[in-house]
Amino acid sequence: MATDLLGADNRQASRKKVGIADLVVVDDDTHLITSGLGSCLAIVLFDPQHGVSGLLHAMLPHAEAARDSTPTKFVDTGVEALISQIEAAGGDPRRLQAWLVGGSQMLEFSGGEDSIGARNIDAAKQILSSRSIPIVGVDVGGSHGRSIEFRPADAALSVRTADGTEQSLS
Amino acid sequence: MRLDIRELGQFNRLASNGAERAARSLSQLTGIDITVEVTDVSLVTDEVLAETFSGQEFVGVQVGLAGGLAGETILAFERSNANVLQSLLLDRSGADRSLAQSGVSELGNIMIGGFIDGWANHLGEAINMTPPTYLEAQGTRILPRETMRAAGDKGVFLFESRLEALNENLDFSIYMLPEYGEFVEMLSRSPTEPTIPANKLRAFDGLAKRGAHRAAEQIGMMTGIDTDVNVSQIRFVTLSDVPATVGNDRSVGVVFTLSGMPSGYLVILFDEASATTVAEAMMPGGMAEDGIGTLTEGAVKELGNIMTSGFIDGWANVLGTSIEHSPPNYIYDMSSSIMSPVVAKLGQRQEYAFVIDSTIQLDGRTGQCDIYALPDERELAKTLSALPTTAG
Repeated sequence: MATDLLGADNRQASRKKVGIADLVVVDDDTHLITSGLGSCLAIVLFDPQHGVSGLLHAMLPHAEAARDSTPTKFVDTGVEALISQIEAAGGDPRRLQAWLVGGSQMLEFSGGEDSIGARNIDAAKQILSSRSIPIVGVDVGGSHGRSIEFRPADAALSVRTADGTEQSLS
Repeated sequence: MRLDIRELGQFNRLASNGAERAARSLSQLTGIDITVEVTDVSLVTDEVLAETFSGQEFVGVQVGLAGGLAGETILAFERSNANVLQSLLLDRSGADRSLAQSGVSELGNIMIGGFIDGWANHLGEAINMTPPTYLEAQGTRILPRETMRAAGDKGVFLFESRLEALNENLDFSIYMLPEYGEFVEMLSRSPTEPTIPANKLRAFDGLAKRGAHRAAEQIGMMTGIDTDVNVSQIRFVTLSDVPATVGNDRSVGVVFTLSGMPSGYLVILFDEASATTVAEAMMPGGMAEDGIGTLTEGAVKELGNIMTSGFIDGWANVLGTSIEHSPPNYIYDMSSSIMSPVVAKLGQRQEYAFVIDSTIQLDGRTGQCDIYALPDERELAKTLSALPTTAG
């Protein structure tokens, strides 16, 4: 059954689920949802002027370090793809604002390297800063999983954790 | 004959595209949002088919193919879900029942057509399709006899797409089975590394079974609880789909890093009630705690350690290699987010994963534990290739 972050009142709103290594862009009030964020990072970009929003669920920070070329798997190429699709849907890249959620360190892997979650967060901050996109809401790091729902109509993002705690970033 | 893993990945993607097409058509027909949660392909034996299809009524379509891919292909889904779809179609189409009925069988045509078009494009050859035969049957009788025979002999490839309606309580699987011989032929036309020899496919099945049985024995020894390995199979799935296969419910999990040949990860997940059951069984004098706390954590870590040792001992028997495991990483969280860092780690090196997936039933099915082994695909292919032919 679908994750329901908002309860019965909002069930009528159209919703789109975004899988891992995937992105979805909408130009209406459709809610964007994604679940199971552990070390992965969700990046939501929204152009309030034109009502275009998009959600990327990225798995790894940089495309160049990996063997496959699915752009939406990576923060760097995924954000570029997200911006292009938002522009194609009528959004203005200069008006975007961003939310970042996820990037946990769920597991202690041996080897002492930086966690993938932390590297995902750094990569996102770097690329958003280079595109001069302000970050308006953040819930990142820690060692727990998250599910989110973005509601374009009120430019708000709900974050839920496994223990049922819910918070709104707007 | 050597099976090309990249090619298997390509077919998985084509199957996934076919399912997406079917989901879109179904959304238009019913007016509700239906999405594809995951598509995977597994090599299954007749036993696994019997477990997968048992006790359910199925509807399906069977088509004969000729050209780039020949043989019988079947697509099936559960009758009860077909009924829900039918009522949604009826709601949408008013009183026209015949339209709704044709809509349900039309789904089969759309989906199988989607697969076949994708395959024909990929192969660059036309595939001709006979008119579909509509089928209704109980359990594995929905499958052609030849499929069951091939499953008992060498195993068959089973594509499963799980579809979910976002705002309705509807969650169902669509199964597709291409004819084994033809499919294996196609996977081995011009193999590029990594490959797996077709005659070692049965060893794959041994990997799934031995590991799970050893782990189940360890649970029995540590807790005194009766165990039964319910399903164990090898799925080949896009790495990014793995978290969706475990769902978003909260689990008590332990994750181990495996090193050796092959390296990889082992993830053991207990639902909350089952974690409490095994923890209480392991505590002296029937001690208990409220909810999931440090006592449960200690017990699950200890049990996970022993299960993992058993599991990889089972593998060592099949593969003739040595594998070590890390100390347990304990997590109590959404199952999908527990998988997230594991797929991210593997995702640095590979796009697809072999997921060796086993369910152990506890105490007469009152609880269960799921084990997911995710080996490095190149190392697994290399290890299987090195096995003597008798092991296949």
